[in-house]
Amino acid sequence: MNFAPVDWAIVAGYLIATVAVGLAGKRFVGSVAHYLVAGRELGLYVGIATLAATEIGTITFMYNGEFGYRYGFAAFAPALISGLVMIFVGRTGFVIRRLRDLRLMTVPEYFEVRYSRGLRIVTGVLVALGGILNMGVFLKIEGEFLTVVSGIDSRYLVGVMTVILLLELLYTVLGGMVSVVITDFLQYVLLSVATILVSIYAVTFAGWTNIVSKVTHVMGHAGFSPIANPKFGITFLVWQTLLWLSLHTCWQTTAMRVFSTKSAETSKRVMTWTGFIFLGRGMLPMLWGIAALTLYGTGALHGGVPHPVVDGQTLAPIDAMPAMLAHILGPGVRGVVVAGMLAATMSVNSSYLLGWSAVISQDVILPVRQALGRGALGSRAQILVNRVANLFVSLFLLFWGLYYRPPGAVYLYLNITGTIFLAGAFVCVVGGLYWKRSNVLGGYAAMLAGAAGAIVPFFVLQWDENVTGFAAFGLALCGLVVGSLLRRREP
Amino acid sequence: MNLWLIFWTLMLVVAGGSFAAITLVVTVRGLRDLRQWFATLGRQNADG
Repeated sequence: MNFAPVDWAIVAGYLIATVAVGLAGKRFVGSVAHYLVAGRELGLYVGIATLAATEIGTITFMYNGEFGYRYGFAAFAPALISGLVMIFVGRTGFVIRRLRDLRLMTVPEYFEVRYSRGLRIVTGVLVALGGILNMGVFLKIEGEFLTVVSGIDSRYLVGVMTVILLLELLYTVLGGMVSVVITDFLQYVLLSVATILVSIYAVTFAGWTNIVSKVTHVMGHAGFSPIANPKFGITFLVWQTLLWLSLHTCWQTTAMRVFSTKSAETSKRVMTWTGFIFLGRGMLPMLWGIAALTLYGTGALHGGVPHPVVDGQTLAPIDAMPAMLAHILGPGVRGVVVAGMLAATMSVNSSYLLGWSAVISQDVILPVRQALGRGALGSRAQILVNRVANLFVSLFLLFWGLYYRPPGAVYLYLNITGTIFLAGAFVCVVGGLYWKRSNVLGGYAAMLAGAAGAIVPFFVLQWDENVTGFAAFGLALCGLVVGSLLRRREP
Repeated sequence: MNLWLIFWTLMLVVAGGSFAAITLVVTVRGLRDLRQWFATLGRQNADG
């Protein structure tokens, strides 16, 4: 056990505080707009906090740490792209300004506004499926982090993660977006302090000169240049640009923050400033991974990179960073860092639970009811449907998340599962907003071609991730253009 | 390689510096945002 009593006290204090403030949010929920988009009243600073907290989880630290360990400084390229693209979206208002003006609650809702109810339901199913599968790997990896750093016996992993999921579920189900935003604020402050602390510790312990020489020795030029690195190259960089452009505009949990702000102008400013946070969100944990490579990268070579060896035990590259933290952080600091990582875990999971269950309820269950000729539901009934959907998503995550392990680098697995629906959704949203001729046939063709373009090359043909991602976006674009040109736009 | 190293070092400084600075500003000013937001939600609920 690596935890001292002071560490346990800090973690317990955090858990009590976060659940208490989360439950307090319930009394502000008076309508479905409060429950899903915080009454559309979020200001700039709390908007930044909730957007950043939603997209920074322990899973983010883990996959970025692994990426840094495997690819050195070259791994910084996608982090840089994610931040720069977000700043671009914020400055120009590309997609987000028009979506915010439509007063939507979910991304697939746009498909009914612009295309048809049928396409909204198809998109809702694909978005929920891809999103939940994407989130499905979170729990186990987050649990690994906590057990490695705290030293809890791995036999208790399932129990620990079940308790954490139940706590998140409790306030998310009751208070919806209101509770999520309040807890996000607290969690953002804590996870940011932990991020800064770990960065200082990692560089201090590994030493900047040692870090640079280790990457030079192990990877040579490929450890610095994303163009020379055989895993990346120009195709990868273009795919990452498209992927982050679609993530920052059409990813349900991000879009819900855009929809929750006071105005389109506020959403643009939130996006711009969060873009700077995104630079650190990627690069800092990647740096921790490189520091772990420097300190523990002494095992047998695998794919040109040595496996981490800690206390005589060979680990997977993804576990190198938490093992390093268990060794370099002292009592008290370790408690703050684990509380910060728990905060990160809970902010992401609660937001994602709400995001995907909102799609299931608003874009699948309710439109299907209407298509069957049933009457529209009132606000209270819609909240109830959302709460039930939340429970089902949680149950699925508990069973899938704790037993499934993705192959290869987790960052790339998450990118590909996201691309399954993002390629089509992004092309349809951009086409719908900026191209008058796009129509329902084009929309269906884009969604199906985008999904096929991600699934077939990656899972069947086993192509490289960057070629797969590129193919998905290309096919989705072809689908929209060809489908729309084949049939005149519906009146 | 040296050019890439200089580039990534500069980016790391920008990323770390802006991360810390924005955290500080958001922590202080976010509390005021939260208070205003609670007041608005309370008014909306009271109005039905």
